[in-house]
Amino acid sequence: MISGFFQAVVDIASSESTYINGALFAAFLAFAASGEWVAERAGTLNISVEGMLLGGAFTSAIGYDITESVLIGLFAGVLGGLIIAGVQAEMSHRLSADQFVVGLTLNILVFGLAGFLDNELEPATKLAGRWNIPLLSDIPLVGQALFGQRWPFYVLYALIPFTWWLVFRTRWGLELRSVGENPQSADVSGIDVNKRRRQSIYYAGATSGLGGAFLVFGQVGLFEDSIVGGRGFIAIAAVIFGGWTLRGTIAGCVIFAGALSFRLSIQGLGYEVNSELLQSLPFLVTLFGMALFAHRVRAPGALAQPFVRGLK
Amino acid sequence: MTAGSPDQSRTGSAEPVPAVIFHNITKTYGAVTACGGIDLEIHRGRIHGILGENGAGKSTLMKMLIGLVLPDHGSIRIDGDVQQIQSPLTAASLGIGMVHQHFSLIDALTVWENVSLGEAGKIDPAGVRSRIGDIADHYGLLIDPYARVSDLAAGLRQRVEIIKCLRRDPNIVIFDEPTSVLTPEESHQLFVSLRQVVASENRAVVLVSHKLDEVLHATDDITIMRQGRVVDRLSASSTDAPTLARSMVGREVSLRSERAALGVLDTTAAGSQTSSKRTRGEAPVLRIRNASATGPGGVTLLDDLSLDVHAGQIVGIAGVEGNGQRELGDVLSSLLSLDHGSVHVGDTYVPSGKSGAMARAGVGVIPEDRHDSGLVLDMSVAENLILVDQSLVSRRGIIDATALHELAAAMIEEFDIHCSGPDAPMWSLSGGNQQRVVLARELSQEPTVLVAAQPTRGLDVGAIEYMGERLKAAAAAGVGVLLISSELEEILDLAERIVVMHSGSIVGEMPRHKADLERLGLLMGGIKV
Amino acid sequence: MTSAVVSPRVRSGEWFMLYALSIMAALVFSAALVEATGGDWHPVVNALLDGSLRRPGRWGETLGTAAPMLLVATGTIISSKAGLINIGQEGQLFVGAAFATYFGFLLGGPGPLNVILILVFGSIGGALWAGVAAGLKFWRNVPEVLSTLLLVTVAGQLVAYGLSKPWLLLAPLADRGNRNQVSVQLAEDNRLPRPEIFGNEIPLAVVLGIVLAIVVSFALSRTVWGFKLRMLGRNPRAAQRSGVAQTRYGASALMLSGAFAGLAGAAMLAGGGFAFGNYQLVPGFSTSIGWTGLLVALVAREKALVAIPVAFVFAGLRTGSSFVGATGVEGRITDVIQGFLVLALLVPPALMFLRDRRRARAAATERV
Repeated sequence: MISGFFQAVVDIASSESTYINGALFAAFLAFAASGEWVAERAGTLNISVEGMLLGGAFTSAIGYDITESVLIGLFAGVLGGLIIAGVQAEMSHRLSADQFVVGLTLNILVFGLAGFLDNELEPATKLAGRWNIPLLSDIPLVGQALFGQRWPFYVLYALIPFTWWLVFRTRWGLELRSVGENPQSADVSGIDVNKRRRQSIYYAGATSGLGGAFLVFGQVGLFEDSIVGGRGFIAIAAVIFGGWTLRGTIAGCVIFAGALSFRLSIQGLGYEVNSELLQSLPFLVTLFGMALFAHRVRAPGALAQPFVRGLK
Repeated sequence: MTAGSPDQSRTGSAEPVPAVIFHNITKTYGAVTACGGIDLEIHRGRIHGILGENGAGKSTLMKMLIGLVLPDHGSIRIDGDVQQIQSPLTAASLGIGMVHQHFSLIDALTVWENVSLGEAGKIDPAGVRSRIGDIADHYGLLIDPYARVSDLAAGLRQRVEIIKCLRRDPNIVIFDEPTSVLTPEESHQLFVSLRQVVASENRAVVLVSHKLDEVLHATDDITIMRQGRVVDRLSASSTDAPTLARSMVGREVSLRSERAALGVLDTTAAGSQTSSKRTRGEAPVLRIRNASATGPGGVTLLDDLSLDVHAGQIVGIAGVEGNGQRELGDVLSSLLSLDHGSVHVGDTYVPSGKSGAMARAGVGVIPEDRHDSGLVLDMSVAENLILVDQSLVSRRGIIDATALHELAAAMIEEFDIHCSGPDAPMWSLSGGNQQRVVLARELSQEPTVLVAAQPTRGLDVGAIEYMGERLKAAAAAGVGVLLISSELEEILDLAERIVVMHSGSIVGEMPRHKADLERLGLLMGGIKV
Repeated sequence: MTSAVVSPRVRSGEWFMLYALSIMAALVFSAALVEATGGDWHPVVNALLDGSLRRPGRWGETLGTAAPMLLVATGTIISSKAGLINIGQEGQLFVGAAFATYFGFLLGGPGPLNVILILVFGSIGGALWAGVAAGLKFWRNVPEVLSTLLLVTVAGQLVAYGLSKPWLLLAPLADRGNRNQVSVQLAEDNRLPRPEIFGNEIPLAVVLGIVLAIVVSFALSRTVWGFKLRMLGRNPRAAQRSGVAQTRYGASALMLSGAFAGLAGAAMLAGGGFAFGNYQLVPGFSTSIGWTGLLVALVAREKALVAIPVAFVFAGLRTGSSFVGATGVEGRITDVIQGFLVLALLVPPALMFLRDRRRARAAATERV
């Protein structure tokens, strides 16, 4: 029985579909996590990622429904994410409302809105075309997964380096990091702290909205309100798991995606592995990851601390 | 006392346009007038000192110049033209720069990143680094651009602040209380650099300070502010310390407080301590042995520190800020655990880092930063007065509101705390009154040891006097007082035994009546003598 | 979580205006949404009122729904006062309900004592679940806002597992009816009484909720324990100096709030009637009561007494929503209304806080 299990594991590890599913999931997480990384480097703890993803997914479906263009759909997804980000950013970092309350409420609100409007409007969507990159997509095992996906997938390959460049090679990024480490000093140096924080949340909204659109056009092919299913929180965990470095965040996305993908595969092979344990595995792994690493890494100095000038 | 007009300070007959003219500047915060009708001129090629005690309005005035605060009335002219200075960026574009009292650096970033901060346009790492090199050569402010600020000592950090300011090539440079974290040697070096800045490049330098000695020796023109108004304009060369002191305080001061206000390092005048009359216990009430502690990243906070305090004695720990004083205070507040060493109160061993252990053992603390661990701003005055021990006003776990009110009212009365009542929220009290609440609470616990860390920081002369009296009274009543202060005058005034702290340990000591200023200065600077 | 310090100088008239305007805005927005998608807002409002209050038996139902929300909210307030952010009530509630179920049909003793034990075990379950987050925080520095959150899904999976095993929670085949994962129904004498008052069935859980809210409100403001907790929440360093160890007090506050959520779960099981699964545990049992309870605490600005009417309003939205479907408008609109309402209710205190803080800072220490 145990040897059979090991055989199954080997089967999974040597099956292309494992990697394809894993890559799809990891990409989805990476869209959201890279934006969330930016937001957290600015010192905000944005838990409305779930709402941003779902909102983006919904608006992308509407965008496609109206124009029959996947490209417009993607832009609509970005727009949806930006709208959610707008509420989060303005309420938490202009009006000083509690960012957790706003985030949680947005998640519930978006879930309700998306479900409600989906029933009323019922947008129809389709999957985007697949682009197989010649030569690279023939690499055994991982070739299809990394270079043989539907085209919205490839946006990620530009997004991640761009995000890195934005944070480490531009003035905006320098100010963003200073705002996340020590907002009082940044303020005295003439930087508008809350403006940078709002902008970081807008960025997170844009990438997460894009992630939601990716889900619709690049993986699932339709919209339903359960499409995100709580996985936005895994993106947040990935940022922490990665020690607030972009590299670590992406690694976290890959690892978590791997865990969930493994669950699907092992069940697909007919193994009666404890279903509930597997489904909670990503969350347990995240918790474990945090427990092991959270005390050793450096969080941005002012993470989750709201800033009001004159308030020390 | 000369109430000079601006004209008297100018030397040349050709009258160049002053770099800065404040005209009728007023700023109020609610009922408090921070600045009232200020008229002031600052000239190029000269160092202008603005002298006043804490709360005189000097920092507020400078904040208006740098764009952090907007005046309610009045105008500011820069090189003759009226300007609205909305933000630090505007100020920078007008050629105004400030080296801040509390540093505006970001620890996690490197020196060159910090120097770049606050500007507009693309970041140019190579350009910034070469500029830093230029400034270093020109002014003698050497620094490694790649160093992470968190790794630098206070003197070096200030250097980064100065470079950050000079990088923008300002015409008007403001130094806000620059020497509070420097050794005497570093202060001297700073003033030499200031002269350079002013003389060779015809810039205007403003030095904001409450230290008479400093202002007298390092500036050309002196403006004295008191309670938000300009009360005197003098030329440094034609005045002296006592005149400045009188102007600054505005009333005849007792010999003791005059010394405190003077900032004059002159031990020969200070002979009035009658420490020999105080009774001293046999065994120390506080015995610290080989205390060592390290912080995150392996930074040494306390290094084999040993210290004794006897009952009825005031021991003063002198030293430049940032040499472990805060950490020592934290250990005695149960906020920091020792890696090695021990603390004994009387005969009892007290574990460090264990919540409430020090307080229970009879160690009272007036912390360096009252907002950090001394007070809960959002609670009422009454609640802050029972912060450490609620047993007097509670029965079987329930707080008796009436008893609390009465207790608070009594303490408010006894310590003369100005507030709207026991239920007033702590944040509505002024700094001096907040400090009184801390004092009241700590003394009411009848401590065996009282630690007073920078107890008069941010207080006016009256409050400083009061604190000094209270500390002496406590000592007279048999409490062992440990006074930690970066103001040498305060130590000389109150302590009967002086120890010097440097790099986390005690490097030397001397009794008050044998205090040797030069030796003290050297010890504070880390030189073992 | 920040909560504003209210200046006594602010007139209560200002507050009223701001709140009224915000609530109005939320409602108008919701109505506009209904209209824009082809519905009609008037019947929706009527349906809500009918479902929550007007029809026979409904306000009792609303009270019964409010009770677990209130319990969760009260617990949340305790941990908030201690400066901890617990957002895992949904999971703690579920685990509490599971504990209650297990001990409920395991023990199966005589009536009243058993009911009390069921509630106690539910509290223990919730406390232990929150305890996991507390342990992670105080030993490994894991932010509790995330650990409590992640544990919600894990809780769901854990209970689902329990419901799949007969030796844990799963009812014997004969009693399952047409469902796969369901627990044994609690015996008649193991249920919380639901006395009838004015034609409404009101579970005793309501009384429990109100009494506990009052007790906690008193405890937080007038006892030494409450004082220490508040000190911890406002200034942990001052608390550390004064003998309030963050680990001990913080962990116990977190576990206590979990206990309240678990109690809510047990109360839903033992006193819920049809609204809550008819005395049986099923997957998804918690039906977002935990989340709503959390929102109640936040909207009530962490005042336990204010949470009582707020819980009633949120419960009314829920009980009313079951009548909305009949008007042709998608029942989910109530989630949307709830969301808009919470956001709208965040605006007045946020504005006041900003204004207050600016004034306070200015008046107090700006002397340099």
